[in-house]
Amino acid sequence: MTSQFAGELCTLLVDDNFGELFARIFSTLVRYDRLSLARLKFYSRLSNAQLRHGLAAMIQQHLVFHYTSYDDGVTYYEPNMQSAYYLIRSGKILEFIEERLGKYAATVMSTIMFLGHAQVAYLETIPELKNSDPDVNGPNEDNEEYQEFGEQNGPKEHEADERYQEPKDELNGLNGDQSSIGNLALLHPTLKALAGHGYISRVRDAQFQSYADNVLDSERTLKARPDIKALKGKKLEEAVVEGTLNLLKERLDGDLTRGLVFNGIPRGAKRRHTSASEAPNKKERLDYAAVDEDDVEEENEWSDDEFGEDTVPMESGITVRINYEKLDVALRNRRFLELAERDSSSVTAEVYECLLRRIEYQTMKCRDTTEIPREGEEGEQYSVPISLRAVVEEIDPLLDLAGSIGPMEVSQPISRRGKRPLDDSMNGVGHEGTNGEQSEGNRTYEVDQHLCLLAQPPYNLTSKRIVSGLITWTVEFRHLARKLRHLELERIIEARYGDVALRVVRVLHEKGKLDEKRLQEISLLPFKDLRQVLASMQAGGFVDLQEVPRDAQRQPSRTIFLWFYDPDRVCNSILEDTYKAMSRCLQRLRFERSRLKEFLEKTERSDVKGNEERYLSEAELALLEQWRAKEALLLGEVARLDDMVAVMRDY
Amino acid sequence: MSRFGAKKGRKLPGAEFTWDNDPSGEADTAPTPLYPKYTVPRARALTTREQTQVDLYRALRERFHDGPYYSVLDPGSSAKKAGEKVKASRVHFDPFHGMPSYSGKYQKKKRGIPRLLGRPYVMKYFPRDDLWGVIQPSYKPGTAVDGYVARMARPTFKRGFEEDEEEEEEDLGKRRKTGDEDDEGVDNDDLLEGEEEQDEEEIIDDDFSEDDDEMGGDYNAEQYFDGGDDEYGDDGFGDGGGGGDEDTY
Repeated sequence: MTSQFAGELCTLLVDDNFGELFARIFSTLVRYDRLSLARLKFYSRLSNAQLRHGLAAMIQQHLVFHYTSYDDGVTYYEPNMQSAYYLIRSGKILEFIEERLGKYAATVMSTIMFLGHAQVAYLETIPELKNSDPDVNGPNEDNEEYQEFGEQNGPKEHEADERYQEPKDELNGLNGDQSSIGNLALLHPTLKALAGHGYISRVRDAQFQSYADNVLDSERTLKARPDIKALKGKKLEEAVVEGTLNLLKERLDGDLTRGLVFNGIPRGAKRRHTSASEAPNKKERLDYAAVDEDDVEEENEWSDDEFGEDTVPMESGITVRINYEKLDVALRNRRFLELAERDSSSVTAEVYECLLRRIEYQTMKCRDTTEIPREGEEGEQYSVPISLRAVVEEIDPLLDLAGSIGPMEVSQPISRRGKRPLDDSMNGVGHEGTNGEQSEGNRTYEVDQHLCLLAQPPYNLTSKRIVSGLITWTVEFRHLARKLRHLELERIIEARYGDVALRVVRVLHEKGKLDEKRLQEISLLPFKDLRQVLASMQAGGFVDLQEVPRDAQRQPSRTIFLWFYDPDRVCNSILEDTYKAMSRCLQRLRFERSRLKEFLEKTERSDVKGNEERYLSEAELALLEQWRAKEALLLGEVARLDDMVAVMRDY
Repeated sequence: MSRFGAKKGRKLPGAEFTWDNDPSGEADTAPTPLYPKYTVPRARALTTREQTQVDLYRALRERFHDGPYYSVLDPGSSAKKAGEKVKASRVHFDPFHGMPSYSGKYQKKKRGIPRLLGRPYVMKYFPRDDLWGVIQPSYKPGTAVDGYVARMARPTFKRGFEEDEEEEEEDLGKRRKTGDEDDEGVDNDDLLEGEEEQDEEEIIDDDFSEDDDEMGGDYNAEQYFDGGDDEYGDDGFGDGGGGGDEDTY
């Protein structure tokens, strides 16, 4: 990701967020890559104080890698493009956290982002985290506020809220000082939930060095070990490679989920559904009482457990940071969910969401390699298998599963193939005895039906596995990521060159290299259209031509011309184009801001800010509104482009 | 295709525009054809989710802007050399809005240097030699901080392009006289600011730079073309004239 436009984009992002000084340092580092302080100073033409303060702050924000070499003791600085890039994703991440874990968690998250990394002890002292809710000591008001907020989000907010109240209440009972301690009690469970989900991670020393430095460093450490020294030749190489990977893993590992995950579910995540079914909808719950029986029991033992754990605050010495890799996994899942929503019912999508969430808890990052994999070279990689039972538990018991799939008798023959083993196991396990068992079995079956539906082509969103007799469901992430990439490319091609082009590209992708004649036969297009479209796509770099001479002279008449479509190549160039488009958007934004500079400075004045209605005239208010809409549009566009980048690069 | 090779009746490029062909004729002033109609693609309106995302991004950015790290570069503070500094700030002076006014006190204060104090740092995450002094002003090289004992200080590597000792000394003296008013100046860092000029001069292939101060106006062929006025003038008069206005920094 060290191309020109990526560098430009990251610099602009740094500028947009942190100001010119950071941008100057960052752009210098992007241009010259690895510099010692003296050289950096020379190239950036900054004063010593500016540079050193800037660098220290940038290291705090993870924008700069540094490495002090053992040989000469000089510290070198490198730009951290990845984390600079993630500045643009902050909005998405915060929105996601807010949806998943509630508003307070999003506030904690944004505070951690604001601080770069922070010790837990320091987070406790931050006023925003203490007084984020003005009416803390009245849980009821609190509740209302949340309900208002969460109206479009349905019960989820409510659940999250529910979850936070309980420890708070308990503590309120214990000691009188409500406001501060009540909120600290809020902070620690929230941090734990975030850590349990893996959205925050511990900071390690090695994270401040670039990946290459870390590799070299651990290689050096390994080679100094006596048992490695004894090896020779190929064995040595293998041992070093393997050892390096292990050592790297160990050094970079900031995983905080250990001890916070229970039965494959992070602490704090489990209570959501159960409490939802308890509190707001007592009546419906009766109907499902039998179903829930099992659940309730489990919940009880669970809640004891959780309370015991929750009142123990998070270790205050830990330094935490945002774990972007994990968040990518979460955002990717959301993307798949959108894909599922596109052509299946909302209930099916919800079932899928539950499956994906269970998988997310156990997936640390999107893929193992750091570089973007090539088209044919990545193997199939299945996610952890999730047993059907776990999915059923995860699903909201109130969800009407049967409504969206046809009546049982009809649906059975249709999906006979996929369901065969299910019948067997169900007969073996489920169908003995009470009505409750029966209904649960039915429910399991329905969930399975929904998942089968998702497993159908063209997307194959899920796949079924039988592990030691139990039905489990997995998601084939590499296949799906590739699918997403292709869909994205196809969308672009269709938008630029029309549906004819799309057909041609699909044919080429399916069949490989083809000469014009064959291509025409397969795609059933008139020559004229075909040539036009191929030529314009070649000019755009989407398809290309290979010449295979039939003799040594390479005469055109005796040469075969083969058209081909290489998704990797197209992907790369699209990625670059996207970076460029994003940086153009940001530049445009900057220009628009400079046009309104005087006015915007006025709105930012300390007396005007906050009470715009009082100080600004009608026209100015309109202008401000207009400006905000414009800015939102441009930033939204950048965010959309970022979605594309995520598909091409990160997933 | 070279112009001079255009023999056999072929016109030179642009020949159709010469007056020779049609001395009495009028130039063709008909408008050139317009660009074909082009539909500008328009972005979709933001969905509510996107709107929330954007708002959250803006809120965080706002927070960064109000935070201690947001800092801007003053035009002329560092891009130019010390001698030009004054000039540059005058050039950039805005006659309409530049004068201090009453409402200026509400204006958002811009920071030139990130403020590092006021929050705890985990020292071991920062490089010791370069930055510890900045993060923790009380830090003395060679002592232990946070129970983390630093390695022995190594002699720093000397390279050709880095600053010369004596010139730095001289420069230090010069800067002290000017009395730099920088409240962020935790230690003597900003007094060393002049180094950059030194670096620059070293890079320029200038064999005589060492002698300049002693030998006065010696002829220097290396500097014949590259604007001897500013650099040279700086060396000559910087002590006297350039000192007074340093507070623009």
